[in-house]
Amino acid sequence: MTREQAFRFGRARHLVGIAGVPDDTSATVGVIVLNAGLVHRIGPFRLHVEMTRRLNASGYPTLRFDLSTLGDSGSSGESQTKVQQVNADVDDAMRLLGQQAGCSRFVLIGLCSGAQNAHSVACSDNKVVGAVFLDGYAYRTFGYRIRHYIPRLFDGERWRRALKRSRNQQVAATRSPEPVFAVAPSPQAVVRTDLAGMIERGMRLSLIYSGGISNYFNHSRQFRECFGSVVSHPYVSTSFLRESDHTYILTGDRHRLLDNIEHWIASNFPIVKAGTRS
Amino acid sequence: MMITSLEAELPFYFGEDAELFGLFHAVGGPARRAVLLCPPLGQDHIRCHRLYRQLANALAGEGVPALRFDYYGTGDSAGDSADVDWSRCVADIATAADELRRRSGADRVIAFGARLGGSMASAAATDARFAGLVIWDPVFDGASYVSRLDAMQSALRQDKQRFMRPRSAADVAEQWLGFATSERLRRQVGELRLAPTAVPTLVLDSLDGVPDSGWRDRGDTQVRRLEPPAPWDDLNRLEVAILSHPLIQTVTGHVRVAA
Repeated sequence: MTREQAFRFGRARHLVGIAGVPDDTSATVGVIVLNAGLVHRIGPFRLHVEMTRRLNASGYPTLRFDLSTLGDSGSSGESQTKVQQVNADVDDAMRLLGQQAGCSRFVLIGLCSGAQNAHSVACSDNKVVGAVFLDGYAYRTFGYRIRHYIPRLFDGERWRRALKRSRNQQVAATRSPEPVFAVAPSPQAVVRTDLAGMIERGMRLSLIYSGGISNYFNHSRQFRECFGSVVSHPYVSTSFLRESDHTYILTGDRHRLLDNIEHWIASNFPIVKAGTRS
Repeated sequence: MMITSLEAELPFYFGEDAELFGLFHAVGGPARRAVLLCPPLGQDHIRCHRLYRQLANALAGEGVPALRFDYYGTGDSAGDSADVDWSRCVADIATAADELRRRSGADRVIAFGARLGGSMASAAATDARFAGLVIWDPVFDGASYVSRLDAMQSALRQDKQRFMRPRSAADVAEQWLGFATSERLRRQVGELRLAPTAVPTLVLDSLDGVPDSGWRDRGDTQVRRLEPPAPWDDLNRLEVAILSHPLIQTVTGHVRVAA
């Protein structure tokens, strides 16, 4: 049984979050879920609520919260870079969950910009022992381009549409121009080094990418193309959920994602009953 | 004295078994009236989150305490998305109104709601003892609203920007735009025919959607045009926030002179 509690917390009491601590938890890791883009802490289509409650039911304490200026959180009033602010906010979140659940090690979960923020914290904070990066850093590789363009070369219908567009000079965008959940790129070599450093520290990583980012990621092989041999390390798990969209709008896709995450956490951070340590 | 710090925005759980999440925007002194912000359902709820917070802050800045909350099965409240039930939402509004009275000390509560939030606030007006209603693009005709959601859900499965391959009809069944939906809620919304209440009501209309009969030319109901039109039903903007500075100005201005 888990009762969720709402908190205003942080070094400037500027953050808002919901902690779920199972009554009989013996987990020594807490799970913290970061904002996906500008969506407040409940996550796209309430993904983070479903995720944290599922993990609570498995015995893990959780915190979903809003980073500074997102959702219901305000500004700390400090003069900091974005990375400093995110690191400090997540440190505040770890302190809160530690106080509530008695855990001192944490798993971070983030989607898109949330993955980027989780990556940033995981690089520098030893309290982070695991991370789930959902549609995190990725790069168009040579393999991506082959897989993307070759089928199109032989697609007559696509050529016909392209010629028609060209004739009609139709340039009106049908999509809104607002970028949604955009992830600013970080150099590929830097990210590779970061991931290697995390593994060296003993961190467990799960990279779960969706078909919703097919404009830059289109096959499970691309994990290795992007990040090299680090993805073959036993501490790293990769999944390419080709059918799903970026924000898991369909309930079945969400269930499969949550199954994946729950299984990964249970495998890497098993809850050990009294008398032993996890 | 006016409270201006973040401390004035207090998150908490309330109601029977503390199942409902709320966020109270306090003011520093006694208040004559307060505003309950009733959210819409589904993706509209997420899209309006920022706007509701801005509106609550604007009201608190004028000395009007406000309460934002989530219905059972929505947001941070208890319950699954598939548990959302019209009658429970209406009851939750009355519970939230009492909570707002208790926390603010103000007995006169005005309700604000967008889309289905406006429709449900109207349905709760008597039980919640509202002194006034401000409803923004409320759903008047539930049957056509259900049809529109069904059409958008159907279009979603073919969305090439979202999916690498079209999804099956089974994949998108029993959901509306990201949220599991029960047959019960579908029926409840489909039966909705919003009628004016005896409570003084301001209808803010950005869709040109107010029915000709019943709503206009009533002493206790005003209809006011709000520009620009809100892109509620645009699948291409499904994950883009709804923001409206004119809405905030209009609602705060109305509350200032109301009651």
